[in-house]
Amino acid sequence: MDTAEIEAKVIQFIATKVENLDTSTISRSSKFEELGLDSMDTIQLLFDAEDTFGINFDSEEAKGFSSVGDIISYIENHQAPASS
Amino acid sequence: MRVIVTGMGVVSPIGIGTDQFWSAAVNGISGIKKISSFDASNLRSQIAGEVSEFNPSTFLSPKYIEQTDRFTQLALLAASLAIEDAGGLDTYAPQRVAVSIGSGMGGFATFESSAIRKFRNQPVPPFTVPRTMANSAAAWIAIKHQLKGVNLTCSTACSSGANAIGMALDLLRAGRADVVVAGGAEACVLPLTMNGFEILHALTTGSNADPARASRPFAKGRDGFIMAEGAGILILEREEEATHRGAKMYARLAGYGQACDALHIVMPNMEGQVSAMRGAIEDAGMAPDSIDHINAHATSTPLGDIVETRAIKNLFGNRARDIAISATKSLLGHTVGASAAIGSIATIMALRTGMIHPTINLEEADPECDLDYTPNVAQQKNPRTGLCNAFGFGGNNASILFTTLE
Repeated sequence: MDTAEIEAKVIQFIATKVENLDTSTISRSSKFEELGLDSMDTIQLLFDAEDTFGINFDSEEAKGFSSVGDIISYIENHQAPASS
Repeated sequence: MRVIVTGMGVVSPIGIGTDQFWSAAVNGISGIKKISSFDASNLRSQIAGEVSEFNPSTFLSPKYIEQTDRFTQLALLAASLAIEDAGGLDTYAPQRVAVSIGSGMGGFATFESSAIRKFRNQPVPPFTVPRTMANSAAAWIAIKHQLKGVNLTCSTACSSGANAIGMALDLLRAGRADVVVAGGAEACVLPLTMNGFEILHALTTGSNADPARASRPFAKGRDGFIMAEGAGILILEREEEATHRGAKMYARLAGYGQACDALHIVMPNMEGQVSAMRGAIEDAGMAPDSIDHINAHATSTPLGDIVETRAIKNLFGNRARDIAISATKSLLGHTVGASAAIGSIATIMALRTGMIHPTINLEEADPECDLDYTPNVAQQKNPRTGLCNAFGFGGNNASILFTTLE
């Protein structure tokens, strides 16, 4: 998946976790706290990403995530190369 | 002190909302079909009462759907319908509004799907525990409607809904709440759960080709119950407060009886059933002679229906044949922890309309089942009192008594 597709998916996941969130306001720099994501929401968000992108988050590294961009960058760097 | 039913909400295989449910019930419509929610070809019992038109996205946000099991979603819809029917609960302080919900299995759809993932070495969803736990339905009802009083869950298998309603009566009598959202919810039309009941020989296996005729309480040749899902919720409050706020009044919740067989973990026992029914009648300050109608537990198992028939004859003697009995499970199948809550709504509607809904598929009764079960066609009997029976695994017997308002 390219970056635009990853971003769209992650934003879609976030939208299911916060009531009445205007998704147009979400960017890579958006902090979880600003979006209204609590710690359970963040755990669920990582699960959604693992399930969709076939990756495993390193739990220590994931503890340091605070923004949407942190998750997207991790996915970009760890997703399996597309088969040719 | 009298406790009144001021609102009702039902989500069932024969209809969502009391009007649709009751219209189907009096017309003897079956809600049992081939299982559509998963491939049941590996099960011996391949039919169920599913709420096929239920769509949580029509009333719940994606967040609620992600964090809730199907049984909670069914409960949330039934609770919203009941609260709306009661005209809202805004006149009460949130801390005085209690929730009392019964569920036999809790969020087993979540449990089963997460177990599959675990055994395939896939990540387990983070909301596995909060969705599975039995008290999640009661908790989400509280969250959605901001109900901050006592919040209880009762899990006593097939009698869960009856005990949850009985516990609500106790809360109101004890003054621990001013109004209670009470009932039951269940959603275990599921491969593992059904397999578990199959192994106990509790489910029907001989009617896969003819689902609508599969559930036949008291009938000759019945061979087990039909798994079903649903939810039923009542709004209960003391008469004084209900009158003060000008609430609609459906019926009086007059008594609750409870007894444990203390004998066998799954086999029914007559003495315990008699004791529960007698307890409910005495709790209401009434005598057995005053009972006009019984919404029977009647699951369509070979043994259970006979034992309940014997229990009714034992308690009511010669009068047993004069009592109009009806089996809601002949229409819906067995909604386990929701069954007595839905059965209560059928009982209350019988008191309201005078009609007893039929026990369908009762062309020829079992010779050992020889009472008036209202076979196949609804009857106008104008009952003034109605017992709703619920007998669960664990030897757990509960009976609740409703009366008309006068």
